[in-house]
Amino acid sequence: MNNILSILIFLPLVAALLIIILPSGFRERFKYIALGTSIIQFFITLSIYLNFNSTSSFAGVNKESQFQLLEKVPWIRLDLGSIGKLEIDYLLGIDGMSLPFLVLSALVMFVATLASWEIKTNLKAFFALLLLLNTAIMGVFCSLDFFLFYIFYELMLLPLYFLIGMWGGVKREYAAIKFFLYTLFGSVFMLLVIIGLYFSVLNPATGNHTFNMILMMDPGNYLGSSLFSTVANQNVLGISARLLAFIVLFIAFAIKVPIVPFHTWLPDAHVEAPTPVSIILAGLLLKVGGYGILRVCYSIFPDAAIQSAWWLGLIGVISIIYGALNALAQTDLKRLIAYSSVSHMGFVTLGIASGTTEGVSGAILQMISHGGLSAMLFFLVGMLYNRVHDREIAHFRGLALVMPQFTAFIMIAFFASLGLPGFSAFMAEAFSLIGAFASQEVNGLLPRWMAIGGSVGILLSAAYFLWTLQRMFFGMTRLKGGDDWLSRLKDVSIREKFALVPLAVLALALGIFPSLIFNKMNASVLAFIEMISG
Amino acid sequence: MNDFIPYISTSINDTVRSLSFFYPEVILVIGFVIVILADLFFSKRSRQAPFLLAIVTLVITALLNYQMLGQLPVQLFGGMIVLDNLAVLFKLIFSFISILFVLFVRYHKPLQNSSKGTGDLFNILLAVQLGLNLMVMSQNLLMIYLSLEMVSVGSYLMVGYLSQSPKQSEAAMKYALFGAVCSAFMLYGMSLLYGFTGSLEIYSPQFVSFLSTTPFHSWGIGLIMLLIGIAFKLSLVPFHFWAPDVYEGAPTPVTAFLSTAPKIAGFGLFIRILAPFEPLSLSGMDNAVFSLTSIMAVMAIFSMVVGNFGAIGQNNVKRMLAYSSIGHTGFMLMALFIFSASGFKALIFYMVIYTIMNMAAFMIVDEIEEKTGKQNIDEYKGIGKDHKVLMIALVIVLVSLAGLPPTAGFTAKFLIFSSAIEAYNLTGSALLITMIITGAISTVVSLFYYFSIPLNAFLRSTESPAADFRNSPKTYISLFLVFLLLFFIIFPSAIQQYL
Repeated sequence: MNNILSILIFLPLVAALLIIILPSGFRERFKYIALGTSIIQFFITLSIYLNFNSTSSFAGVNKESQFQLLEKVPWIRLDLGSIGKLEIDYLLGIDGMSLPFLVLSALVMFVATLASWEIKTNLKAFFALLLLLNTAIMGVFCSLDFFLFYIFYELMLLPLYFLIGMWGGVKREYAAIKFFLYTLFGSVFMLLVIIGLYFSVLNPATGNHTFNMILMMDPGNYLGSSLFSTVANQNVLGISARLLAFIVLFIAFAIKVPIVPFHTWLPDAHVEAPTPVSIILAGLLLKVGGYGILRVCYSIFPDAAIQSAWWLGLIGVISIIYGALNALAQTDLKRLIAYSSVSHMGFVTLGIASGTTEGVSGAILQMISHGGLSAMLFFLVGMLYNRVHDREIAHFRGLALVMPQFTAFIMIAFFASLGLPGFSAFMAEAFSLIGAFASQEVNGLLPRWMAIGGSVGILLSAAYFLWTLQRMFFGMTRLKGGDDWLSRLKDVSIREKFALVPLAVLALALGIFPSLIFNKMNASVLAFIEMISG
Repeated sequence: MNDFIPYISTSINDTVRSLSFFYPEVILVIGFVIVILADLFFSKRSRQAPFLLAIVTLVITALLNYQMLGQLPVQLFGGMIVLDNLAVLFKLIFSFISILFVLFVRYHKPLQNSSKGTGDLFNILLAVQLGLNLMVMSQNLLMIYLSLEMVSVGSYLMVGYLSQSPKQSEAAMKYALFGAVCSAFMLYGMSLLYGFTGSLEIYSPQFVSFLSTTPFHSWGIGLIMLLIGIAFKLSLVPFHFWAPDVYEGAPTPVTAFLSTAPKIAGFGLFIRILAPFEPLSLSGMDNAVFSLTSIMAVMAIFSMVVGNFGAIGQNNVKRMLAYSSIGHTGFMLMALFIFSASGFKALIFYMVIYTIMNMAAFMIVDEIEEKTGKQNIDEYKGIGKDHKVLMIALVIVLVSLAGLPPTAGFTAKFLIFSSAIEAYNLTGSALLITMIITGAISTVVSLFYYFSIPLNAFLRSTESPAADFRNSPKTYISLFLVFLLLFFIIFPSAIQQYL
């Protein structure tokens, strides 16, 4: 089966069409269709994971022949007259850097679908949009053609706009359009860079201008005098064209990640979105940003990336600390978790900026770990909100006595997130920090104090998580809603356990055996480091 | 008199030869006459006879044009007009627009119910279509002016066709007055150019060499006046003031027509006029005192800014679309900076998609207006619930207008950006990169107003109960157009193979 990636991507689309065609009498079945789709996807990704060849001759990154499950179909060929032909392919493939994200996507989608049981209105539209979003996310992680990548990347926006806008909270209109405008602002400029890139890059095999990302990574494929040529040193608006392109692409992805100061859409969108959408936002959308930085910004413009590494490290550290301080100040549990995402994603930036094997491995692990943990956290908040329609921290006290199992899950999620050894976040953050620390000696990109700044973030995250735990769950039970709330606060149901247990297992498994991921991606990370350090 | 005798046979031969390339236009003229007669004598017995005849005429014209695809340039009628592949492509787009327009009118209630009937409207349309065809083929100043006026006069009549309310009369009046002034300017500019060069043919060596050798101060005014006439047709800033009022006041099918066909013809004419002077720097159009490139870039920038920012405040859907079309024109202008096949390809592709988007948008808006009487955006609250299919279709059209995947609007926008960046690559001019960045920012801005429609239709709800309605054929036509938008992003080659 060498079109398994296409199946993975378009299966949800087919399911979405099925849901649209089915009459509304089947309304109650829609969620099972969506759930079935995500389960099938999960098993597909699992089999891809198990059959994945992790030897160094299949490292991928910048060699097309080394990618696995490669699919290549010529798509658009346009004769541009004087400047030659334009070549867009339907090009899919995975390497060690995209593999973990596929598994994570399927898992988070499964949890998000389980969380969708709380949605009661307009089910047809909701599940159709959710599945469309699923297609787009899978597509982003698999595409190796920049045009295709961009289409999937933009395709994520529309369903999210409607998912937040139609099923969201009170300020949903504002949150939805803010999210949309922020992301679009980043991506229209990305489009300009893509166009500049294809003018600059020739496919050596055919002599056509190409959108193939892998070919864009090889400096030898650039036309000598072209805009983004490594030799010509062209300037745009007084800045080196390659550096400017890197900055533009980085901002586009940084908005998604989000990195301070482009993060202000995140608290609004996460808080206003319904639970399943918050889960997808935190669990997958933010990872698209980090993945994009690795796959696109760093791989295509390594020279500019090395040049700006210090700044990237700096904003990584700022994100870690600023996000954590903000989280400390929140009174709404969901907002707190949203800001903790900003903080945790800062480690990703820091790890990538270090340009070391440890740092980049740690960054990828952090994305996977945070993907699972944030999904779990948002799911837990959603459970609480669903029961009493309130999530102010001050309105709850002593929940441990009312909902012991719920508290157990919360404790797992909190302790895992704050970086307790034995959980995935610890491994991930440790590796990111080791990378940042070692960077001064290995390649001199980041000074040591940045690693130290990052560790302060861990301390702060322990503070806000433990403080929240203490305020909401410990002590005598005192609830704002009194006995009414007490009767509504039922403990974890079977369905909810189905969603929570896999995520808890993931956090624990990656904490104890990080090699589950490290082994699969090591060859690719090494190839990546070799490529960027040129 | 006797001196001319030797020339008679050659010019007759030339005319006869030319006629064989002129069949589509001949058919239009014949159709024009037949529709008048049918409207006079048969409209009592079969009300839709003019409609059917007009459709048949247009389909035949389209087929004839289709056969001419790939046409090598030929001079016709003593060099008055030229037929080349570009002209054929433009003419095909016009046929497409006209067919949609005729269908639109057929299912537009206010026009169907009016005491005037629609026969005359189809008549005018065929004449305008003839004018449009000539506009993209003409290469003689007289011919340019004639064809432009043919289109203009027809358009004035179309806008004022119903004139039921003061608003509609005002729109028609405004359009006619504004248009008359602009065409007067254009005529004056032409006479100046003719006076200087002694030639009406813009491709004649005499014409070009004069302009390249004479200082700008003498002929610049003439050229600028000529451009004013075109800028009016394109509704480029600062000659856009008529557009919002006319778009709002005219019957919706006419608005849909005006926002597409004359504009596209304006681009065709623009290309014709610019062609002899390319590259501009060699022909003296870009010199120390005066730079046509800069003027075009500034116009493009201002059109995008005014169009997109102007649209934000609009509440009437048709006005909003009017402003957005000003923005689109500015955007399309970006394709002309790379004056080569790749730029034209991008432009034609964009125009085809733009036509589909605009026609679909106006059809859906009109359908909603007929069903619910709503034409303001804030009245759209909650109608996504009652008119699901229609509103989803409208959202797809709006997404395409904003130029986002997964719609063909994205591919079109991408191609225009490509040609603009190619132009920047060649020149490195700061003005061009400013224009490109303006284009990118205006995309973000445009999202803001385009999405005010789904915002109201889907994100908000209303108490008022749904009206009872039946889908008219317009719904299905617009659904087909929406399908095309989704189809062309996957198979852009369906259009590109002809370019």
